[in-house]
Amino acid sequence: MQEEQSTSQAQSSHTQAPMAAAAPQSTLLKDLMIPVSIILAGVFVGAGLYFSGGTGGGSNVAVTGAGAEPAAPADNTGKVNPISAEDDYFKGDIDAPIKIVEFSDYDCPFCSRFHDTMNTIVETYPEEVVWTYRHFPIEQLHPQAPAVAIAAECVGELGGNEAFWTFSDGYFAARGAQDGTPHDVLIPRLALESGVEQGAFATCFDSGDMNERVQADMTNATETGGRGTPWSILIGPSGKTYPINGSLPVSAIEQLIELAQAEA
Amino acid sequence: MMVFSVLQRVFTEARYTQIAALLAVVALSTAILIPNTAIIVQVFQSTEISLVAKFAFLGRMYGILFTNFTIFAALYTVVISILFGINSSLLVYYIRRRQTNVSNTSGHTAGVFGVVSGLFGVGCAACGSVIVSGLLALVGAGGLLALLPLHGAEFGVLGVMLLSYSVYQLSKRISDPLVCV
Repeated sequence: MQEEQSTSQAQSSHTQAPMAAAAPQSTLLKDLMIPVSIILAGVFVGAGLYFSGGTGGGSNVAVTGAGAEPAAPADNTGKVNPISAEDDYFKGDIDAPIKIVEFSDYDCPFCSRFHDTMNTIVETYPEEVVWTYRHFPIEQLHPQAPAVAIAAECVGELGGNEAFWTFSDGYFAARGAQDGTPHDVLIPRLALESGVEQGAFATCFDSGDMNERVQADMTNATETGGRGTPWSILIGPSGKTYPINGSLPVSAIEQLIELAQAEA
Repeated sequence: MMVFSVLQRVFTEARYTQIAALLAVVALSTAILIPNTAIIVQVFQSTEISLVAKFAFLGRMYGILFTNFTIFAALYTVVISILFGINSSLLVYYIRRRQTNVSNTSGHTAGVFGVVSGLFGVGCAACGSVIVSGLLALVGAGGLLALLPLHGAEFGVLGVMLLSYSVYQLSKRISDPLVCV
């Protein structure tokens, strides 16, 4: 009897085993479907943002084109070329403890917004912050931007720091206001308003002498991890660097300045 | 009408509204904050500022939606995030309903279709500009975006369309009697 029972149980367990195994598998599959799909979607989102250099998903930082590299996990912001009164155009006290290096594109709308942000910052922190402007024109998106960068360099070369900023502020103000003035009209007009002699400006602009400077800025922007504009690096009093990707609000920049001061 | 009636049915249950809201916030935060992950990590690792200040910084970073997006891009990013939340929530509702109901062959087939459609929709939050533009940048073809009339915003619009389609498909499956026999 015991043998019969055990045989019966064995038979029963043989026939039920596959069913029992199949049921948990099916349930497990169902249970895992949702979290796995959500995780997969998250991975796709993350990977997409990562490989787009943090510029996808609706973010509108202008993306570098050919030769663009995926976001570098390593922090290369320390490779930023040092600021100097001789080689840089700057606003604020050149010896200020906090330095903000901005790599920008004259025809990028977000750079125009960030230009206003940075003007507010240097007005608020005239002794604590120095802001330098460097070039990162993205020709694929803004075909005329390299020419504007060269024009700005010519204005700076001929008229000095103040003339450079008069030109740059004027250009961003015009573009920010969606002024449709063609480049070939706007550039000479702003150069003239910056106090630069027209003939000398035209000679400089046509010579290509400033191309190398613009190219050097672009190379350094890429080296430091920039893959879109505006790309900025805040350097604290201790030399610690803080990457700023895109056009951050004034309040966020102010808090970063306070953090850099605290970490000095 | 069918979609609205399904949405009304699903979101009268608080937990599905919570799931949708949570995932919408996660999706929006991903789009806004990930480009500045490095600085956010630096701020949160700092021992010089309080936790309140750290979260205040995080809150201020959401201002990027107004300073680093066009109005159009901000709009479709928000819409994609909301649709992502709704789609995910519908998917959870749909699968839970199936688990509590006896399935038959036709129901099973329809169920698989519903899940695939839901997964497709969830994945579309990723394909809307993120993956495609990401891949373009990866292969050094970011300049191709410049050739598009909307400079890549097409992918955002595509994401909205595909997610909407997925919400529609899921709603259809939820209201389909064959699915919930």
